[in-house]
Amino acid sequence: MRPNNSHRRQVLKAAGISIALPQLESLADSDESSNVGQADLGKASRLVCIGTYLGFYRDAFFPKQTGREYQFSTLLGEVADHRDHFTVFSGLDHRAPNGHAAWNNFLCGQSPNAYSLDQQIADRIGRETRFPSIQLSAGKASQTMSHTRRGVALPMIQRPSVLYGKLFATEADRKRTDYLLKSGKSALDSVLEDADQLQRSVSGADRVKLNEYFDSLREVERRMTRQLASDLPVPSTDYQLPDYDPVAPTLQLEAETLMYDLMALALETDSTRVMTLFIGGLGQVFTIDGRTLQAGYHALSHHGNNADAIADLVKVEREHMRCFNGFLNHLKLKTDSTGKPLLDSTIVLLGTGMGDASRHANSNLPILVAGGGFGHGQHLAVERKEAGAPLLGDLYLTLMHQLGVEVDQFSNAKQNLNHLFS
Amino acid sequence: MVRWLLIAFFFPVLVHGQDDSQSNFAPAVRDFFRSYCFECHDDSISIHDRSLSNAKVSGTAKNEEPADAPLGATPSGFSLQELIRLDDVSVSPKHWERVLDLIKSGAMPPDGSDVIPQDDRAEMIAWIDRQLTESLSIGGTPPRRLNRDEYQRTIQSLFNLQDFNLPPGFPADRPLHGFTNLGEGLVVSPQLFEAYSESARQVADELFPPPRKVPLATTEHAGPNEMVISYSSSKVVGDAMRLGMKCDPIQRSCTWPSRIEAKVAGVYGISVRLSAFRPRAEGPPMLAKVLARDVSSTDGVSHGSLRLLQEIVVTKESPEIFEFEAILHEGQTLVLHWANAELDSDQADKAALRKFFEAKGQENPRYLAAWHAMLNGEQGQGFRGGIGWERVKSHLSNEDLPLIDAEQQEALLKKIMGNPVLYAETVVFDVFENGPALEVHGLKVSGPKEIVEGPKELTRKRLRARFLGGSAASEEAIRRFLKRAFRRPVDEKTAQIWIGLFNEHLEDGHSEDEAMHLLIRHVLISPRFLYRCIQDGPLDDYDLATRLSYFLTQRPPDDRLIKKVERLSDPAVLRDQAERLLPSSAGSSFVVDFTEQWLGTRLLADIMPDGMFKFTKTDQKNAKLEVENFFAEILRENRPLRDFIDPDFTWTSPRIAKNIYELNQEFDKQKVNNLQRISLPRGGRFGGLLGQSAVMMATANGVDTQPVLRGVWVLDNLLGSPPPPPPNAVPPITPDTNGAKTPRELLTLHTEDMTCAMCHHRIDPLGIVLENFDPVGRWRDRWPNGGMPIDSRVVMPDGTELKDVVDLKKWMLLHLDQFGLCVAEKLMTYATGRQMNYRERSELEGIVRHHLSQDAGFRDLVLDLIASPVFAAK
Repeated sequence: MRPNNSHRRQVLKAAGISIALPQLESLADSDESSNVGQADLGKASRLVCIGTYLGFYRDAFFPKQTGREYQFSTLLGEVADHRDHFTVFSGLDHRAPNGHAAWNNFLCGQSPNAYSLDQQIADRIGRETRFPSIQLSAGKASQTMSHTRRGVALPMIQRPSVLYGKLFATEADRKRTDYLLKSGKSALDSVLEDADQLQRSVSGADRVKLNEYFDSLREVERRMTRQLASDLPVPSTDYQLPDYDPVAPTLQLEAETLMYDLMALALETDSTRVMTLFIGGLGQVFTIDGRTLQAGYHALSHHGNNADAIADLVKVEREHMRCFNGFLNHLKLKTDSTGKPLLDSTIVLLGTGMGDASRHANSNLPILVAGGGFGHGQHLAVERKEAGAPLLGDLYLTLMHQLGVEVDQFSNAKQNLNHLFS
Repeated sequence: MVRWLLIAFFFPVLVHGQDDSQSNFAPAVRDFFRSYCFECHDDSISIHDRSLSNAKVSGTAKNEEPADAPLGATPSGFSLQELIRLDDVSVSPKHWERVLDLIKSGAMPPDGSDVIPQDDRAEMIAWIDRQLTESLSIGGTPPRRLNRDEYQRTIQSLFNLQDFNLPPGFPADRPLHGFTNLGEGLVVSPQLFEAYSESARQVADELFPPPRKVPLATTEHAGPNEMVISYSSSKVVGDAMRLGMKCDPIQRSCTWPSRIEAKVAGVYGISVRLSAFRPRAEGPPMLAKVLARDVSSTDGVSHGSLRLLQEIVVTKESPEIFEFEAILHEGQTLVLHWANAELDSDQADKAALRKFFEAKGQENPRYLAAWHAMLNGEQGQGFRGGIGWERVKSHLSNEDLPLIDAEQQEALLKKIMGNPVLYAETVVFDVFENGPALEVHGLKVSGPKEIVEGPKELTRKRLRARFLGGSAASEEAIRRFLKRAFRRPVDEKTAQIWIGLFNEHLEDGHSEDEAMHLLIRHVLISPRFLYRCIQDGPLDDYDLATRLSYFLTQRPPDDRLIKKVERLSDPAVLRDQAERLLPSSAGSSFVVDFTEQWLGTRLLADIMPDGMFKFTKTDQKNAKLEVENFFAEILRENRPLRDFIDPDFTWTSPRIAKNIYELNQEFDKQKVNNLQRISLPRGGRFGGLLGQSAVMMATANGVDTQPVLRGVWVLDNLLGSPPPPPPNAVPPITPDTNGAKTPRELLTLHTEDMTCAMCHHRIDPLGIVLENFDPVGRWRDRWPNGGMPIDSRVVMPDGTELKDVVDLKKWMLLHLDQFGLCVAEKLMTYATGRQMNYRERSELEGIVRHHLSQDAGFRDLVLDLIASPVFAAK
């Protein structure tokens, strides 16, 4: 199904037209019958959500003009090369309370710890890949970002070496997996022998109930046989990590770069299609372009409108944007299995649960969406004071639709932004 | 169910031509149904199985997917005519129970049909009762696997791995009739089986990990620019990093190399180059401490909690090298701290900061004036770190700087003392520039020179020794493990299978560790481990111990119980052990888990009360704690059952007491959110399960109340007579808050339709009488948004008129036997993992009746239930 879709998109692109493809009815029907089908219908097939703990200084993030003719703000200037591949949004938020603790609702909507956007997507499209989703952090994960349907906050990987090990098994890892599979498969015979003996000793109805156990065991055994028979689809890479993990707070920007590199590799190898990255921010004092800043990152975020503090704060934020720019470069250069740039079919959401760190205000959140087959290139400003003004959740609905997930409500949002952004 | 349907399909053919004389049922029985029921009850009307109740209030949790729907919720049934044709009550006792319920309650035959003479009715009731009692036996829990919580706790207990936690993705259990520990509902799927295998591997890895890889020895250097600066902990000046403060959190006072981390626990050679920058001539010399920290731990950790590697006295102003050897554990790095710095920002040592400013002020009167000018200048709010110090300096160099008087000085010092952390963060830059400061020029870590056992290895060694009962794996150790894991003695044949598994692996050339690893991995996926009380027949001592232990602790039997296990059939021993294990604290797993499942308070986590209720997350947490503390006190203090309904106390936070329960006594303002025991007048609106915020919340959806849900909740959880599910999944009626119609009016629709009225004449009065409680349990007299006054007057099915909840509580107290039976049934369902059948319920009824006649307490009731044959039957 995907080749057709991409083909249609290509034709439209070639004609310089960017419109939302109407949902074909026959295809829409199959949505309900199969989760896997949903994923194949989306114009985008991957989702990456990035959230910075301390947000972005809004005057350095939002352009002054709206629409297509906007001029780059300081921070957007760092991703100037990708102007036609992203859209910046202002005026969006979840209408949620303020405070550091409320950051967690970034991907959840009005209430923190609710079923998050990435997990809603992962539960629909994650089954096809080795990892349904991957959660990462650069710097300490001081907040939570991804939450399961049951509201469980998912832990994040902070060490690039751990992510690397997860994505690309080393020779030793492979040997160990092989040993565990082989020894485990033959030991299952003993488990079965004893279980059979047990089953024979119980009454008729209980014996029937125990069949669940035997069915499951045999299914797992079949899976092990399959795994042993075929080479594990674990990709390899020649990418080299440094021999230390940049977990020291002052190395956070280095960690960010490594994480972005590995994220691009994870998407390229189709190891997963849903990733989140939390970008931390505590007391660390960064040295940027050879100059050590005057205060810790967190302290700078409480700038109290002091020009010197803001200047240093924006320096840090520019570094975040530079790292992000590197990620977009990767996604443009790397291609999917059909040879098209990953960025075309990957929605990248960059944002934060913090609107203004200086006051801990969680309204008017800096938000940017790149790639994913949308028509980009503008600053979409929402008048949040107007009645019925769209919410951040409405943008999430549009992202979900683009991924082929047809839902009509996300937390407190019920509209979507399809008419503005497609 | 499939089996019953097949019988229903074939049986009628067999019995069709049968005349009454060949029937098991007496002609009078057949005549009874023919004359009073069959006129309406043809084969198109089916009767629900009693167990297919609407067991837990649902529809309040959001994002509900079909996977979450209670199992077995599909209505199916026999027609009354089929039941008679089947000619045997034991074929479908649950349907006969329903018939009995309907006749007994007077719901059938409905108003307007022929009235059954009193004698006929009583005879029929007695006949069904007899038939049911004869055809049913006590017991019959299907194989019951450990649920998620029990599984996690069992692994913790079995291996002494107290920190073992299942990953968030571990499959959750689906509730059946509101409980997540019923044998019938606890299914095993391939996905769950894989999760079990993965957990088993993790446990095996904990105790018998693959051999450690020993890294090559290396030498790592870190210059001043390769060390961490955090907040204002340090600053690089020239070729050295300067430290200036001694405060508690290392992120504000210390530095550590950013790229050095021990890959393995071992002895390392450490060398640091230090010097003293402008040390004081008098006083003690500078003392530097080298500490060890886990790089993954929080940067806010206190230096006092870190392991000291070396103390170094620094006197020279030129760099001096200090070398020593120390142990670093895996994942650790070293931290440098100036232990006797003058500046401190800890609250506990505020005087040091004041002294520092005063001394500076005496040295130079313009100093405090410059600070004053900085803080009162244009950008006074943004002075964090070096930014503020640069501005103080510019004021100092301003010749026209106005001096400040003593009063202004005092005000300034007071301001600084008000937030020592903030001001120290800036003034320390003065120290970095002017000293005295400790200088770190660089450090070097080389090794490991020798591998040692770190805390990880030592813990593992201890766990292994405990697990093996010695240092080496032995047949005896395996037998002991099997007995503990399977919670009962293991027969020789079984033991040989597992010992064989171990030995074969050894023979294949693997190590003892690998063989133990394999054994653990597979014992933990054996049905003998995963299921409990699986042996046929009445529970033997071991299974009884297991049932008791999981009931009261959600864990396998502890050592003290195991010691007594062979005497457990002695009622006195069983009672002793039950007494010992019965928890008394509100936080115990029994209290939390049982109340969550019985009363549905687990739902609270999913409910977001609307902003207009001003009910915070903390309130929500406290509301749930109220139920748990309330339950725990009744259990602990052996209070009478009536206290569940109309107590003279509760446990709540002053905030909730004031805002929700209208209690106007004086509370400590500092502790508005701390739960405390509060006395209540008996006979009031609040207090007891029918007036608690958590209950009102769990039976609403955070925005509106749903009277039908509340009614069903009371029937199911307090009265033990849950109605069957509504036909064709009709949605519950919700109030129209615009005030055009009250729920009361809407609900009258229920009584107009006969099918609805059957159940709703029992449900709706209970829902409407509780309408005075809003979705968080606050009292209201009117619907929201200026709506109509709430009319909570109702008539109960037995004709009793109730004005409000106070009357409902009185009614409940008059029917305490019903409530008692309901609680007993819930407790036994939870304990045994099966729904009680008619015979078992009769048994429980006897216990409860006896209990009430004795005027005994709730703790006694629980102990009596444990002593009952219902508890002891498989």
